[in-house]
Amino acid sequence: MKDEPITLPLGEPPTKGQMIARFGRDLVTDFDLDDPGFNDKFDETLDFLVRKCPVVHSQVGRGYYLINTQDDVRRSAQDWQTFSSAKGYMPNRPEGMPYLMPEESDPPIHTEWRKVLNPHLSPKVSLSYEQPIRDDVNELIDRFINSGECEFIGEFGALLPGWAFFKNVLGLPIVDLAMLIEGVEEGTFSPDLGTRARHFGNVFAYLEKHLRWRSEQSERDDLIGTILKGVTYDNGEPAPWEHMVSILVDLTFGGIATTTFVMASAIHHLATHPDQRQLLIDNPAMIDNAIEEYARFFPPLVALGRTCTRNVEIAGTEIRAGEFVMLTYAAASRDPRHMEDPGKIDLTRTGIPHSTFGVGWHRCIGSNLARIELSTTIEEWLKRIPEFSVKPGTEPVYVTGYLRSMRKLELVW
Amino acid sequence: MKMKIDEELCTDHGRCAHFAPNVFRLDDDRYNADRGGIVEISAGEEKNATMGLKSCPERAISIVEE
Ligand code: HEM
Ligand code: SF4
Repeated sequence: MKDEPITLPLGEPPTKGQMIARFGRDLVTDFDLDDPGFNDKFDETLDFLVRKCPVVHSQVGRGYYLINTQDDVRRSAQDWQTFSSAKGYMPNRPEGMPYLMPEESDPPIHTEWRKVLNPHLSPKVSLSYEQPIRDDVNELIDRFINSGECEFIGEFGALLPGWAFFKNVLGLPIVDLAMLIEGVEEGTFSPDLGTRARHFGNVFAYLEKHLRWRSEQSERDDLIGTILKGVTYDNGEPAPWEHMVSILVDLTFGGIATTTFVMASAIHHLATHPDQRQLLIDNPAMIDNAIEEYARFFPPLVALGRTCTRNVEIAGTEIRAGEFVMLTYAAASRDPRHMEDPGKIDLTRTGIPHSTFGVGWHRCIGSNLARIELSTTIEEWLKRIPEFSVKPGTEPVYVTGYLRSMRKLELVW
Repeated sequence: MKMKIDEELCTDHGRCAHFAPNVFRLDDDRYNADRGGIVEISAGEEKNATMGLKSCPERAISIVEE
C-alpha cells in the first residue's frame, strides 16, 4: 500500500502514449474492469480516471462507459429516468440471468420493494443485532487467537458478514455458507462467462428452495416473511415468484460479497500502520469515523451499471440511448474536487463525502448492518489482538472487476 | 444558522443524524425527518451539523443564506 498520494493536475487530458506507458493500454477508449493491470494498479488507475478522464469507454463485449467524477456520478445516480437500472448492473451480463430486485428495477417497482424491505435493515433494527454480531466476532477470534496467526479472509473476513446476515436478518443456518460464498465469488470473477452463470444459478437454486420451504410454513413478519407477502405493482398485479426469489438473492449478494473487503482492508491497514492502530486503541470513539474513511478508500463495489434511456452528454462525451454506463463509485470517492489528499488514508478526516454505499434511490440497503459488522470487528480485534502484523514474506492477494475483493491476508501476532 | 433538507434528494443514508443527532432526526422510513423543510441550528451544534451536511452523499442538505 502506497501512502504517498498521487498528485496529478486536474483536467489535462492524457495522451495515448502516456497511458500506454503507464497502464499498458489506452484507458480512455479501451478500458477494461477485468484487466489484471487494473487490479494491480487500482488506486493509481482510479486517481488517473477521476482527475483526467471524466468519461471513458470500454470495448469489451458489448462495450460500456465509465463515469468517474463525484459530481457526474452523483447526478447520474440520482437521475434514474435517464440512467435506468432495469437492464441490470453488470456489464456484459450473462445471457438468461434473471434480473435481481430491487437492484435491477426502476421506480415504481423499486419504490414498492424498498418501502417494505427498508424497515428490516433500518439503523434501529441493525443496532439490535450489534451484540450477537459482537459475540460472533469473539467466537471467530477464539478459534485462532492462541495459534498466533490466521488467514484473515478464510478464517474471519469471509465468514462474519455471512453469519451476521444469515443468523440475524434471515434467521437461516450458516452450514451452507461456503457454497454461497463460492457461488457469489465465482459468479462475479470467473474469467469464463458460462462458469459465472452456472455459479449464479447455484445461488438462485439454493435460495429458492429455502423460500419455497418458508412459503409452506406459517406466516411470519421477518424479512423473508415480508418478501413472501410481496408487493403490488402499478399494473395491479402482485409481484411474481421469480422477483421474490431474486430479492433474496440480491440481499444475499450484498450481505456476503462486499463487507469482507472493507473489513480486510482496514485490518491490513492497521497491521501495517502501528501508529494508526495505537490511535484507535487510545481513542475508540474515533473508530466510527475511521470506518467511513476505510469505506471511502476500499470500495468493494467499484462501479455499478445503468442503461441510458436517452442521448446524453457527460463531460463532453456523447452517450447514446441504449448504451451501458458504469457509475464508478470508487473513483467518485477519491475526487480531489471534493476533498484534500484523496489518495491518502486519513482516519481523522471528517465529513467524508464518499459514494462507497452508492448514491440515489439504489443506495445500499445494508449499510447500517455493514457499519456494525465493521465497528464490532475493529473494536474487538484491537482489544484482543492489539499487536499484529502481516506474516513476513506474504502479501494480500486482490482480485478486481466491477467488484473488488481480497482473497488472502496472512497475519501473525 | 439554518439548513434546508431537499425533499427529492434525501434518500435515507442517515449520515446527517449519525453525526448531528441533536440536529437531524430520522423518521420511521429512515429519511431526514425534516426533509422538505428547514432546520434551525444552535451555535453549539453548528460543527456537528456541518459534518452531517458534508457527509450526506446526496448533497441533500444546504445552508440557508440569511
Ligand atoms: C461494506 C459493505 C457494503 C457496500 C460497500 C455496499 C455497497 C452498495 C452499493 C454501492 C449499492 C448501490 C448499487 C447501485 O447503485 O446500483 C448497494 C446496493 C445494495 N446493497 Fe449494499 N453494500 C454493502 C453491504 C451490504 C449488505 C450487508 C447488504 C445486505 C444486508 C447489502 C445489500 C444491498 C442491496 C439489496 C442493494 C440494492 C439496493 C437497491 O437497488 O435498492 N449491501 N450496496
Ligand atoms: S444524510 Fe442526506 S440523504 Fe441521508 S438522511 Fe440525511 S439528508 Fe437524507
